[in-house]
Amino acid sequence: MRHILSNRILQIILRLIVGGTFIYASLGKIADPVSFAKAINNYQMLPEFTVNFLAIFIPYLEFITGTFLIIGLFKKGSSLIIIVSLILFTIGLLQAYIRGLSINCGCFSLDPSTKSEILIRIIQDIFLLLFTFIILLYSKTKKIVLNNKESENVNQQRI
Amino acid sequence: MRKIFIEILLILIFTLIIALLGNSFNSKGIKLSSSQSRISVEDEAAYKDEFRNDPYDTLSVQMPLLNDLRQKDKKEGFYIPQNITLSLAKKLYDKNALFIDARKKIDFDAGHIKGAINISYDDFLAKTKEERIEMMRKYNKNGIIIAYCEGGTCDVSIDVAYELARMGFNYVNLYRPGYIAWKNAGYPVEP
Repeated sequence: MRHILSNRILQIILRLIVGGTFIYASLGKIADPVSFAKAINNYQMLPEFTVNFLAIFIPYLEFITGTFLIIGLFKKGSSLIIIVSLILFTIGLLQAYIRGLSINCGCFSLDPSTKSEILIRIIQDIFLLLFTFIILLYSKTKKIVLNNKESENVNQQRI
Repeated sequence: MRKIFIEILLILIFTLIIALLGNSFNSKGIKLSSSQSRISVEDEAAYKDEFRNDPYDTLSVQMPLLNDLRQKDKKEGFYIPQNITLSLAKKLYDKNALFIDARKKIDFDAGHIKGAINISYDDFLAKTKEERIEMMRKYNKNGIIIAYCEGGTCDVSIDVAYELARMGFNYVNLYRPGYIAWKNAGYPVEP
């Protein structure tokens, strides 16, 4: 199992999926922070004075962690940030779903007339979460020392 | 483990710098803190008791406010629509303010605040600037306008309110609790 999950090709594919999704999701929001601020406000979860800051910060965080994940820089740190943000997004979606808020989630499209399927987004988030966990736990960090097998063992012990 | 936290810290700091830079260079960038002006219940005393609004009297330049709490948008110079409470909305209703329902026509027809006119967000923003001006010509630029929609989560009223403010209406208000709160309070609705 461990061998399959730490397979180089699989790792690259997962990083492309998660990183690509995050970059794709961030672009519209970076271009139009006003609409994203409205989308955040619609969740009715956060005090209003934090909304603008988050509307600026979150899209860039998505973009940068997504990019890092794809190019393989700060892989572990990026994937941990992505995991935390995915968990927070999912909580936000869940509470909106439970409270029956009819909102556009602000996940990909910011057009208020597109009422997105919250449930589908939640499922999607859970899959992304799973992928990112695999990246966090099974990706190899490069080590110049020792031969391959030993360095692999070292890494697995560290986790 | 420690390495991961250092990585995270570096990423967060890096992102913060890029985000602030990116936002300041973005022509659509926003202010860091959202300071939506709000009129609280206490401020309601600011409204003149004897004042009566006439939305159709286009010659009137009477100022409805005693203490002017409005803020001007620094870039474009229009008066920023103010959020108002349910009780103030009712007070202004009693003073004959013009209520604008930003929902779709089908929702408007199903029930709306008594006397409100329907300016559906979708239709309104689809119109050209000239068409919008023509449509709003018969209303008093200094009259009190209150835009609303369903309530709570809806934001179409914000778009309509800002568009009206940009068109030169000087006393546009936003009543965010919306139609639901109004109806629940037992205030006049039609049909």
